[in-house]
Amino acid sequence: MDLKINGTSHTVDLPGDMPLLWALRDGLKFTSVKYGCGIAQCGACTVHIGGEAVRSCQVPLADVWGEITTIEGLGTRDALHVIQAAWIDQQVAQCGYCQSGQIMQAADLLARNPEPTDDDIDAAMSGNLCRCGTYPRIRAAVHAAARAMRGA
Amino acid sequence: MRYAARLSLIVLVNLVPGNPALAQSEHGLDLSSLPEAGAVSSDEGLAAWECIHTVLTHPRCLNCHVGADNVPLWGSIDDPDRVHGMAINAGDSRIGDDTMSCHACHQSSTRPNTIPHAAPHAGMDWRLAPIEFQWTDRTSAEICAQMRDPDRNGGRDAAGLVEHILHDAELTGFITWSFGPGAGRDPAPGSLQTHLEDMAAWTAAGMPCPEQ
Repeated sequence: MDLKINGTSHTVDLPGDMPLLWALRDGLKFTSVKYGCGIAQCGACTVHIGGEAVRSCQVPLADVWGEITTIEGLGTRDALHVIQAAWIDQQVAQCGYCQSGQIMQAADLLARNPEPTDDDIDAAMSGNLCRCGTYPRIRAAVHAAARAMRGA
Repeated sequence: MRYAARLSLIVLVNLVPGNPALAQSEHGLDLSSLPEAGAVSSDEGLAAWECIHTVLTHPRCLNCHVGADNVPLWGSIDDPDRVHGMAINAGDSRIGDDTMSCHACHQSSTRPNTIPHAAPHAGMDWRLAPIEFQWTDRTSAEICAQMRDPDRNGGRDAAGLVEHILHDAELTGFITWSFGPGAGRDPAPGSLQTHLEDMAAWTAAGMPCPEQ
């Protein structure tokens, strides 16, 4: 089975009903994608497929319909994505476990809504849980990233 | 919407109630015993409506036939008013375009739902029903009036309402899923076949509605 991940083609020999999350983490070692619950209740495994944020624990490998983007494809250590930079500026992460999923969901939101309100952010991010309770800093970072993306 | 194009459209059979030649099709439902228009009495039609109403007001159906707040439910028989967790709001698009896409968790797939508590999926893009189809907080008479009004039922006439069930069955859509939701969920009462037969009987009787 062929997958395109972060611009690179990968061939995997894994069962078609395996959740994409398992294939990414265990098969291809994209360990930035986190396992939290396995039932779409936490958002830690959020990646993009075809530009859309989805819970990778809910997508059977055989049903992947487009290019996958993980946080490794969003930016690099040397060239951070503006959302990653905002996350660091706002010191969002505490334990950090949920943050790659949070950032991928935020990227989906900002692609659709370049100037979100607090309510917009809450509505888009409410499915991404953070046990450390970093929600105020997540909201601040999304606003900061939005401003940076608008050049404001 | 970004992912709607993935669904392939299936050409519908022309529905001719009572025609055995159409008893076999991709929808897998038996059409051979469906009544002709006018062949069902009003009383029988009302009885069929009661069965339809029991299905429509089951939590499996009500959970997504909600009102203008666009908040889906996680209702069950024991707790029918429980709202969807995680403060989900499907927005005015009713599919999460303005907030978080329903599709972020609910995949479009005809695979069986086998994992308890996981986000269920069906063969259509997950969404709330159009606001015109709100069934929560409505009486049987009100829902019945909605169901027979083309302005509030998706533009469907009597045959269109029956055809809607067949189309859903071909896609393994939400009506079909509701009778076999899998993974420990309460199914809607009856079966898709009995629901089809009730809808055919009700429409053949002229879509009679209760007074209350």
